[in-house]
Amino acid sequence: MERQEIIDGLVEILGTVRTINPEKLKNVTEETDFISDLNTPSTEMINIAAKAEQKFGVEFDDDDIDDLGSKIKDIVDLIIATKERS
Amino acid sequence: MQVSGRKVAVVGMGGAFPTCKNLDDFNQKLFSNQSLIRSWDKASIFEKKIRSTVSGFITEEEMDLEIIPSSLLENYPETYVDKLNRIQPGNLATADVGSIWAMLGAMDAIKMAGWEDSETQSQQTGVVIGSGGAGHEVLRHAWHNFFEMGVKTRLVGSHAVDRAMVYRDAANVSCLIKSKGVCESIGSACATGLGNIGYAFRLIKFGIQDRVIAGGVEGTSLETFIGFDAMQVLSRGFSPEESSRPFDMNRNGFVCSFGAGIIALEEYASAKARGAKILGVIDDYFNNSDGDGDMFYPSFAGQQRLWKGLLTNDNRKPDVVKVHGTSTPAGDAIELLSVVDTLGKKDYHISAPKSQFGHMLGAAGSVEFITALLMLENQKVLPCLNSNNLNPELENFQKTANWQGPKEPLAAFRELMPQESFSKEINKIACLNYGFGGTNSAISISKGT
Repeated sequence: MERQEIIDGLVEILGTVRTINPEKLKNVTEETDFISDLNTPSTEMINIAAKAEQKFGVEFDDDDIDDLGSKIKDIVDLIIATKERS
Repeated sequence: MQVSGRKVAVVGMGGAFPTCKNLDDFNQKLFSNQSLIRSWDKASIFEKKIRSTVSGFITEEEMDLEIIPSSLLENYPETYVDKLNRIQPGNLATADVGSIWAMLGAMDAIKMAGWEDSETQSQQTGVVIGSGGAGHEVLRHAWHNFFEMGVKTRLVGSHAVDRAMVYRDAANVSCLIKSKGVCESIGSACATGLGNIGYAFRLIKFGIQDRVIAGGVEGTSLETFIGFDAMQVLSRGFSPEESSRPFDMNRNGFVCSFGAGIIALEEYASAKARGAKILGVIDDYFNNSDGDGDMFYPSFAGQQRLWKGLLTNDNRKPDVVKVHGTSTPAGDAIELLSVVDTLGKKDYHISAPKSQFGHMLGAAGSVEFITALLMLENQKVLPCLNSNNLNPELENFQKTANWQGPKEPLAAFRELMPQESFSKEINKIACLNYGFGGTNSAISISKGT
């Protein structure tokens, strides 16, 4: 799965998070930060991770979720790494 | 300690009321003697597994809300959408349906009060709102998916706690309006609505706060309904509009209903100084417990002590007694006899708003407090709907040697209980509510000047 394909899927997930302004989702890149760029409430991060698990057919380890960074590339990396492990 | 000379005014009100678009609609329907009780399809689909199928319920659609179902969990409401954009998604994300009603009611109450943001967001503004039940609809599906379906906890998401915690209504309202004072919930079962108002009254009367948003909420919940249905205490066998019949001989239980009643309280002198419309003035609040060790059965002695406490500082006879009047066989008889024992047989009337919209549980006391404010405003008494036939015989407990109360049957007090709304001069109303655990609450309010 290409990284851009994953980013597109993540943007779809972010579009369902009603606390994120849809305008901010128009130019999401690997460097986009959930917290500082998208103003995502920190409580929503676990919801996004759970939806990513469902969308990409993976199951993250709890330790990986604890260590997850706040940029788009961090979750893209995690999805790819988890897929490779399984 | 109460601060001498400090009075508490009601300056705003709002809420959620079954079948009603808004407070004006509620006002119009109540004083035209209508019932807000309907058959509830959510209950009746269970056929013989459920006894009662009538309720004063409110749907999401009726409140212009839409449920966004979770894509991760079966039947789990991930969040709500406010189709009228009254509340922002960030606030909706942390709210169950009852908390949303509380926020809408608080917004209406603050608008009516005319508070500026600097007043609402002050350290001197508190929020005291409670609910009878938990965030059942959130908890039920979260737990079902974890325990029965075996999902990981994170699929429940990060809002099961804030949407189900005991003081979720107060917390959501406080976060919405950004108040900086006290934020708490009082829980006292079916006295919750009045208990929160009473506590808010004390916060102002004691000089702790200058303004408080107060009230009670009971979000529509089949889970709540099932609990009471299991106790066999809900009304059955009547048409929906005839199901709630306080004091009537043939009453056989209460109608489990839902709603929200939110009011804005303010220290009287400051409200007057800024020219606010005074909807009413709270004279006093008193609450106590039966002390007889009985969780459910009402206590005549407890209610006698309640009246004594309420009238200690102001013994003017109220023009109207807004009773708890649930339509249960034991509760209504004890309550009516305790009122008569205190106030006699004439020069006041009894109003039982549950006869029109059922028993809103944690919201009952506050929504019924709003009906009292409307009675003051309209100078009209709300009826005891469906109280068609009063028992001409003594109640069994009146025949026992220990009975110390009135020795006349309920039918002797017909004149006190109007079956339709009517006009009269109303200057003072006493409001009564009781709850499981033997808790009793009473408040008296006077016409605003």
